[in-house]
Amino acid sequence: MKSRLVPRRSAGRVVLLAALLLAVFGGLALNARGGVERLVDYLALQRTPSFSVPAGWPQPVYDFSNNPITDAGFALGRQLFYDPKLSRDGTIACASCHQQFAAFAHYDHPVSHGIGNQNGKRNAPGLFNLAWQPQLMWDGSAHHLELQPLGPLANPVEMDQNLPDLLTRLRADAEYPARFAAAFGTPEIDSQRLLRALAQFTGTLVSANSRYDRYRAGDTDALSVTEQTGLASFRAHCASCHTEPLLSDFSYRSNGLDAEPKDPGRSTITGRDEDRGRFRVPSLRNLGLTPPYMHDGRFDTLEQVVEHYRSGVVDSAALDPVLRGGVRIDDGERDALLAFLRTLDDPAFVHDIRYADPGARR
Amino acid sequence: MPAFSRSLLLLPLIVVLAACRQATPSLPAIQVEISHVVGAAPLVIGVALTTPAGETLSVKRLQYYLSNPRLLRADGSWQAPPQDLQSPDGYYLIDAAKPETTHFLLPAAPAGEYSGVEFTIGVDEVRNGSGAQTGALDPAHGMFWTWATGYIHFKLEGRSPASPEADHAVTLHLGGNGLQRTVFLPFAPKPVRVSTDIQPTVHLHADLAAFLGGAAPLKFAEQPLVMQAKDGLPLADRLGSLLSVDHIHHEPAGAPHRP
Ligand code: HEC
Ligand code: HEC
Repeated sequence: MKSRLVPRRSAGRVVLLAALLLAVFGGLALNARGGVERLVDYLALQRTPSFSVPAGWPQPVYDFSNNPITDAGFALGRQLFYDPKLSRDGTIACASCHQQFAAFAHYDHPVSHGIGNQNGKRNAPGLFNLAWQPQLMWDGSAHHLELQPLGPLANPVEMDQNLPDLLTRLRADAEYPARFAAAFGTPEIDSQRLLRALAQFTGTLVSANSRYDRYRAGDTDALSVTEQTGLASFRAHCASCHTEPLLSDFSYRSNGLDAEPKDPGRSTITGRDEDRGRFRVPSLRNLGLTPPYMHDGRFDTLEQVVEHYRSGVVDSAALDPVLRGGVRIDDGERDALLAFLRTLDDPAFVHDIRYADPGARR
Repeated sequence: MPAFSRSLLLLPLIVVLAACRQATPSLPAIQVEISHVVGAAPLVIGVALTTPAGETLSVKRLQYYLSNPRLLRADGSWQAPPQDLQSPDGYYLIDAAKPETTHFLLPAAPAGEYSGVEFTIGVDEVRNGSGAQTGALDPAHGMFWTWATGYIHFKLEGRSPASPEADHAVTLHLGGNGLQRTVFLPFAPKPVRVSTDIQPTVHLHADLAAFLGGAAPLKFAEQPLVMQAKDGLPLADRLGSLLSVDHIHHEPAGAPHRP
């Protein structure tokens, strides 16, 4: 059986590819100095991402020393992430619900949409800077990056695939044993290798190149005056939970969405009543790319989100005291805040071809 | 000098080292054997038994983790192998339906007398948070909650006419941090001896009646289904009564050791 992911290039495609390369590099050469720089950039992008801690950021939680990133390991993780073979009926990949153009959120889906057209109950968050998260998921149900994929794999409305069957399928695949051998030395495929390869991909999804980041790094021109006003407003009203620079303190809180939450949230994991309706404070990076918002995707726009904090906060036992009575922001400050929130997008991250579908690139 | 001939120079050293290793004959490790019982009777998978609460139960699955064994020396100190977070050594997944899982060797211990062994029933909190594991800890064994990441320490599944669930199912999954229990099993009436010429075997009973019984015997009519840590917490102490030492053998060690 031929794999979908690595189609054999026909002669026609090779010619096409050669012509394309010629055009690209020809174009680059004509563009003299800038061209060389772009060529260097291009080649730099081709490499496997190395994991480095952006300046001013804390140390990550995920420890790559047990799972060192290699070219073959990262490439395998990337292939697995994009491969629908990981689901029971071969229709759903991780990437089905985590799309790069949406910073790996499920664009325009309030709740995720999985196998057999079934809806889940939560919004798929964007995937980036996961190596810094002490737990994953809205309720913190996954407490280790390597183990997180076991959730969607087993979930009957997501990929509905039991692990032993998946391993059997990968072992029988025409391609995977060789790719595991390249990544781990021998062709054996076990759950640890599968999960570690995926973690080499998900763990290296680092987004730290927004205009806000450039401003923090000292480039005062990176934000307009209005956006800087918005940043001050953000620091006054929002940053106690959406802590800089990751824009989350990774605690579990209620921001006053419901008096009687339908989704028990964090209490599912802790079993404590006071955690009912509490959810992980999400990072706000790439916000403009990841609508809709909140654990159930109830808000379509950032305007609605900010209006919620201004006038929609509902009291409950779980509500965070900081938000009791809502946040006082006048209309002018609101507009500046909204302008600031849009500076958190990282276009370089969503266009980084190292994270793109490896099948589509060929 | 070419690398190959240089490594030839090491040859005598290797030979000497190998000879030294042979000179100290290896000590037999303590073997653990577990029999699954219900009071005095053997537990048979799929065959109805009567629980201490007087209900009928047919067991489909009984699986649990034993981990991190430590031996108590006669002088009161502990003998424990170092933990390696990358290795599943010291973790045993026992499955009453799979005889090959009901006996195992404890980690090597120096010669001497030991008066008991301690186990964690379940997977300790540190390992529970240490990422993708292998061997007994491979999540593919199904002893893992994927929706609330963490190992299932103990699993009892079966059918009981007393259960109000569909198909009279009984499902007890004890998992999550805080539900692990540590048990100390004294080697009685005499200590276990580790020496070159003896193969010691500690025979344990895992008694389902002891687990289900106690002061307030578990009733499947009231509690047929436990799949969350908070529901399992009240049952976790029962893990402490599951295991006991039934008897101990000291046999001559298998093959005679030559210096
Ligand atoms: C059917 C849609 C769907 C599929 C398929 C899917 N996910 Fe998700 N993903 C979600 C949803 C929804 C959440 C949030 C779930 C929750 O919080 O309960 C999520 C959460 C996550 C998170 C946690 C992010 C955070 O910030 O906490 C990671 C990491 C992740 N997914 C990776 C993966 C990987 C890897 C795969 C493939 C093995 C995968 N997902 C497959 C929908 C999906
Ligand atoms: C008391 C802590 C707290 C404060 C203060 C706070 N938030 Fe939040 N925020 C949260 C929590 C918790 C969530 C997730 C709620 C949920 O989905 O149930 C959240 C969610 C969000 C989201 C949705 C993100 C997504 O990806 O779905 C946005 C946007 C947001 N907050 C913006 C803000 C802004 C702007 C402010 C300041 C006006 C602010 N927050 C103040 C705790 C807080």
